[in-house]
Amino acid sequence: MTERSSPVQQLETAFPGLIAKYPSHRLVQYRVDKNRLPELARFLHGKLQARLALLFAADCRPLEEKYEIQYLFSVDRHWVLLTIDVVGHDRLFTSITPFVHAAQWYEREIRDLFGLIPQGHPDLRRLVRHEHWPKGTHPLRKDFLWDKTIGRQQGEYRFRHIEGEGVFEVPVGPIHAGIIEPGHFRFSVAGEPIMQLEIRHFWKHRGIEKLFEQQTLTSGLPLAERISGDTTLGHGLAYCEAVESLLHLEVPRRARYLRSLFLELERLHNHLGDVGAICNDTAYTLAHAHCSRMKEQVMQLNDRLTGSRFLRGALAIGGVAKDVSAIQRSQLVDVLETIEKDFAELESIIFANASLTDRLETTGVLTERTAWDHGVVGVVGRASGMDQDVRRDRPFAAYNELAVNVVCYRYGDVRARLRVRMDEIHESIRLMGEIRNKIPAGPLLASSGHQPRPREWALSAVEGWRGEILYFVMVGEDGHIHRCKVRDPSFPNWPAIQWAVIGNIIPDFPLINKSFNLSYAGNDL
Amino acid sequence: MFRILKKSLKAGVVTGQHPGAAQSSASFTPQTHQKMLPFKRSLAIREVDTGSCNACEMEMNALTNPIYDVERFGVHIVASPRHADALVVTGPVTVNMERALKDVHKQTPDPKLVIALGDCAINCGVFRGSYAVTGPVDRHIPVDVRIPGCPPRPSEILDVLQRLKGAR
Repeated sequence: MTERSSPVQQLETAFPGLIAKYPSHRLVQYRVDKNRLPELARFLHGKLQARLALLFAADCRPLEEKYEIQYLFSVDRHWVLLTIDVVGHDRLFTSITPFVHAAQWYEREIRDLFGLIPQGHPDLRRLVRHEHWPKGTHPLRKDFLWDKTIGRQQGEYRFRHIEGEGVFEVPVGPIHAGIIEPGHFRFSVAGEPIMQLEIRHFWKHRGIEKLFEQQTLTSGLPLAERISGDTTLGHGLAYCEAVESLLHLEVPRRARYLRSLFLELERLHNHLGDVGAICNDTAYTLAHAHCSRMKEQVMQLNDRLTGSRFLRGALAIGGVAKDVSAIQRSQLVDVLETIEKDFAELESIIFANASLTDRLETTGVLTERTAWDHGVVGVVGRASGMDQDVRRDRPFAAYNELAVNVVCYRYGDVRARLRVRMDEIHESIRLMGEIRNKIPAGPLLASSGHQPRPREWALSAVEGWRGEILYFVMVGEDGHIHRCKVRDPSFPNWPAIQWAVIGNIIPDFPLINKSFNLSYAGNDL
Repeated sequence: MFRILKKSLKAGVVTGQHPGAAQSSASFTPQTHQKMLPFKRSLAIREVDTGSCNACEMEMNALTNPIYDVERFGVHIVASPRHADALVVTGPVTVNMERALKDVHKQTPDPKLVIALGDCAINCGVFRGSYAVTGPVDRHIPVDVRIPGCPPRPSEILDVLQRLKGAR
């Protein structure tokens, strides 16, 4: 590999003796000693401005008697993957949370699922396992049976308390007032302003990563499509991309265009719904009614194109399962043009409303610094000045032939997140027009006879409508999955809400939460 | 103001502009008819998610949009189980949500109806057997109506709700 980014060179100059491997394009892997890892991580994050994109463990038994922990950093459109081994009975590794804040939830997750202990972590309370799980339950260990029944024990989760005169705690959830998913929010307030918010999630933990280990590479797709229903296609596509690089499958060009088309359709219906929902949370129901009408139009369009309102079953390993004929494509563009005009009219109505703008501006500000510290991705990141979009930075599907204009705002308030969504609606519609003009004829599916060896792995990144979705798939024996790590964009973004709400009033929380609109299901797995 | 009026006039009436429901395979228990007697005119629904992928939630939300507009049939979605006549439960019941589901069921005043929405609520779907899933909804609370689908289309849910109110 000749192409080397200067950050990678800087890393190798600062730490001579690192042995680099290049498993795939723009990905460099270093296997390092676990005692050296903290300084490397500190250098990458602090000096090279690398974002911690993923941190996860894998149990290598029965092939090797060890655990591996992988640290994936994103630096300047390149991936840097650091791998350490945790061997034998020593289940300790050094926490990097004290200087890479984004590692906080990842390390707690590793502790819960594998029983490896991050030494020096400032907060070692349980995350995924709720207090009633018996001690010593670490489901992602290979000696834990996937269908084991978990007992119940007594336990108490200790929330962080603020004490003082006039300080109250407001518990919300896990079951909320609207039709939304379960999660618990604990506010500490003095008067109206929020002093602290603590999020307690993982109510919906369904053991998806363990379920993947019961699947073969080719049979895991329906499960991936059901990780987060609203991102059916995003998750499905990320899974397919990872598996295809393991099977050495070259997806036909037509199929890649169709994948981009489906992905933009998904982005469109979700963004339309979000714009409406944000307006609804300021009690501006008119915009909500119009937006949900348009969203429904797109979902009916999805249904006509693929037989599923959520585009389920549209993808297949090696290509797509559903073709879109020329007639359907021109119908599609007609519908989209109507929606774009419709939506543009609505936009001018929305922004002519001063009381609405007043609610949105300076509400729930997520500063660029906080966003950076949490490694925030996607719409939320782009509203806080983090100019990143996988479609442009690491093109997948047909995006290497489609020029994506990345929308970026700096203020990080609810209005900025609304604006990002609005602009992306127009951009999606434009992209779909471009796809219609450029789509080539050809086959829809590729096949291959390649069988990956055990312990081979692949990484894939897809820009779903919420943001960067990451999949790490490692092959086990006889075509089974050994480890599948799924990272929904919600996972790094949830903790950031805790900072965005500080100083706001509780009645604004639903609005701020809606402007993030994160998945509980994708986060809890 | 003029712009808003113009927009509303241009959009016109969209209610009912959706493809008809396919023959739904929803099933009712024999007691459902009896239980529905007090709710012929209106039905207050509380939705509980016990571990779904959130597609069922999106379809429940779609029921309230101007196209399906479930309120025209006297069905409304309420904020608390204490105000509800019927619980709509989605998703397999996860280990972490088991207690919350039972609490919600206890807090819903009798007589009440439980509707299991989607394949996961009925038989755990793709999540069946997982260590973190304790079983389908009817393992924990009695279920009266089952609406299969992954997820069921809003028109199908609407159709079942109408049949329930007619209690045919």
